[in-house]
Amino acid sequence: MTTLKNPEPVDVVIVGAGAGGATAAKVLTEAGLRVVGLERGPWLKPEHASGDELKFLNRNFIWQDPKLKPRTYRQNDSEEAVVTNFSATPQVVGGGTTHWGGMVPRMTENDFRLRSLHGDVEGASLVDWPITYDDLEPYYTRVEWEFGTSGLGGANRWEGRRSRDYPTKPAPLSQIGRKFATAMDKMGHSTFPMPQGMVTEPYRGRTPFSENGFWQQYPDPGTGKSSTLISFIPDAVHTGLYDLRSDCYVSEVLVDKTGKATGVRYQDEHGNEFVQNAKAVIVCGGGIETPRLLLMSTSALFPDGLGNGSGQVGKNATFHQYSFSVGLFDRALHDPLYGWSGHYMNLCSFDFYETDESRGHILGSLIFPSMLGHPVNWSFPGRPTWGQAAKDADRDLFNYSMKIGILLHDLPVESNRVDLDPNVKDAWGLPVARITHTPHANDFAQEKWQVKKNGEILEAAGASKVVPVNMERITGNTSHELGTVRMGNDPATSVVDKWCRSHEVPNLYVFDASFFPTATGINPALTIMANAWRCADRIIAVDRHGWTD
Amino acid sequence: MGQAEWATVPISTRDTKGPLFFTEHEWATVEAATARIIPTDHHPGAREAGVVRFIDRMLAGTQFVFPAADGKGFLRMEGLEEQAWQERIESRRTFYRDGIIELDAIAADAFGADFLNLTEDQQDAVLERISRKEKPTKFVFAESDGQGSGGAPAGNQPVNEDFLEFFPLLVLNTRQGFYGDPVYGGNDNRLGWRVIGFPGPPSLAATMDGSYTTLEYMIPEAEWPYEQHPAVLRYGDR
Ligand SMILES: Cc1cc2nc3c(=O)[nH]c(=O)nc-3n(C[C@H](O)[C@H](O)[C@H](O)COP(=O)(O)OP(=O)(O)OC[C@H]3O[C@@H](n4cnc5c(N)ncnc54)[C@H](O)[C@@H]3O)c2cc1C
Repeated sequence: MTTLKNPEPVDVVIVGAGAGGATAAKVLTEAGLRVVGLERGPWLKPEHASGDELKFLNRNFIWQDPKLKPRTYRQNDSEEAVVTNFSATPQVVGGGTTHWGGMVPRMTENDFRLRSLHGDVEGASLVDWPITYDDLEPYYTRVEWEFGTSGLGGANRWEGRRSRDYPTKPAPLSQIGRKFATAMDKMGHSTFPMPQGMVTEPYRGRTPFSENGFWQQYPDPGTGKSSTLISFIPDAVHTGLYDLRSDCYVSEVLVDKTGKATGVRYQDEHGNEFVQNAKAVIVCGGGIETPRLLLMSTSALFPDGLGNGSGQVGKNATFHQYSFSVGLFDRALHDPLYGWSGHYMNLCSFDFYETDESRGHILGSLIFPSMLGHPVNWSFPGRPTWGQAAKDADRDLFNYSMKIGILLHDLPVESNRVDLDPNVKDAWGLPVARITHTPHANDFAQEKWQVKKNGEILEAAGASKVVPVNMERITGNTSHELGTVRMGNDPATSVVDKWCRSHEVPNLYVFDASFFPTATGINPALTIMANAWRCADRIIAVDRHGWTD
Repeated sequence: MGQAEWATVPISTRDTKGPLFFTEHEWATVEAATARIIPTDHHPGAREAGVVRFIDRMLAGTQFVFPAADGKGFLRMEGLEEQAWQERIESRRTFYRDGIIELDAIAADAFGADFLNLTEDQQDAVLERISRKEKPTKFVFAESDGQGSGGAPAGNQPVNEDFLEFFPLLVLNTRQGFYGDPVYGGNDNRLGWRVIGFPGPPSLAATMDGSYTTLEYMIPEAEWPYEQHPAVLRYGDR
């Protein structure tokens, strides 16, 4: 390998260009800071996207190839972890926002204070967030308007105070949305349009989505879908101060003798190694890769991993398992549902979101109807797999099926964690992330109750058959990997402070999904972006004045 | 070269007639087996949709793994991703080659002929033996217990084929060849889509330029609150 010159030092280096990293890049560069972004994935452009089910769902064009980037999973410490594709999330410029569903509800006020509301729940590590809904509200609004969203302000009556409506109107109603709204209404429950990371009207030079159904798990060849790839990254690049290097894999965060971060070590796509020095380091690799990187970054001062004096790095992981009930409708009695039309999900309800102890568990989830998938991946438990029976089932039910899903609002448990696998290495020779996870009893109770309730809604909608799809274990199937680098006021029980700055390393930050002190029952990316914006603002106003040597 | 820079080679899965990977016998055997997995009835099945070509092209090497976004050729894979796919394809080739030998062996043992030369019922019996399960029976609303072997229920995560045995791999690949985009060599004339009533785009390019839309299958005129909209109320009980 030829020795190549290290690149020029900059103000800030950001690891990862997903939801958190790209937001930070935008805010910091627009304030005049020089930023280098290192993203291990490729910089695919909208023109790399199209409605190709095999490429985007079955053949890892944007999902990580498990042969190159494996992860391991075990239920508890006494088991040997096995290689799985746990919580696969695209590692590309734009991260998880490139091909996501784009559901962007806000967290509720109560989500920020679960310990105050529920006290110490046995076996769980419940805490309050060090910030409140009001701290985040202005940033929710900024992200909704700069990122581009659609929805109906005020429609969610569980939402805290909102200072502004959504910039574009709700997405058009789909047949499955109609079925859901009607059934919920019949049962005395409410529904409202799912707030979405999409523009439904011409907005800031962007054209609405063409409503072709290739939405969830597909990147968008146009500009209708909001992702950091088409919004915040171009904004940051436009300043001339953001040098985003794709296909660059960071293997270590470096520190000096005084315990300050000096930069990162990374490899480019040819395997050449570089050190990028900076006045501050922001890690935004996602809830699994971030703790892994911190744990790999050992040194004399930090023998157990960077900023891990509390031993909390990687702990309290939650994963929002996605469960649902499938409804199958008799074509003799119903109009077709055409689940593949529109954009995967449509409406939602928060009627089961807040705790109601009469259900036998605490916490709850938003629920939402969606399709079962495009033709190749359309499936439900019990579907005949081959022969005439399989063909008949496909023909009879493909257009007559839908599901109603939940995102498990799971409890944090300290021993549920991400650490380094002692046996398995990735294609670059680095130890992979090992996930150890057993759901809390409340998780199972909540999930069972809600999946059953969703089945009742499907029955009210007229389904002839309801198939519950309960979880057996956590699989990470939502790619909502949260909580592994907890934010908190107490350095003994958290890793970063309320500004997502390491308690121990004064110029090290974590702005991705790992900061969540507790999970939510909704999708996290809007909160990740709003929080990254809030913390980046703090850097501009306060912290950077302390970095100058 | 990074994935974003992979060049497009303007080849098509249909450029060559006949097998690229399979021998003639293997091609015919896989074609016959897929035709039992998605049979022909008053609608076309796997045979008419060219599923065997889909499988053959998948096994041919890394040149037909990822189509260009607009479907006008395939991406020339490079680097670690290409190596990983090369390995994957090698192991699938072995699965298929060994699987075909096993199909013939079971057929010879039970009926004294190659799989290819059996009647449809005999072929089904061989597939039952290789799958170690009875042939699936018709789905009936009232009877199905919903706990059968329908494969992974549609969730969020990619389906990982790397660990499948021969028969489930064959079933999954048949489904992919029947319902995947025609650029991959199967779903000829979009037959698979027509069977189940999926309009599907006329081409991948049509999903890029916005000309393909499913708006007509939705209720664009509905305004929130939806439960008061006539198109919604029509299905309500009130
Ligand atoms: C199919 C799907 C649908 C989803 N739908 C929704 C939804 O509707 N709503 C919602 O809120 N969320 C959704 N999500 C989840 C959402 O995408 C994630 O929660 C969010 O992207 C997480 O943001 P992040 O900044 O933590 O990490 P990411 O967005 O995952 O970004 C992390 C980036 O860091 C890079 N990286 C990691 N390690 C390194 C390293 N060592 N060196 C260099 N780069 C590195 C990765 O390549 C990646 O690009 C969905 C996810 C998927 C997969």
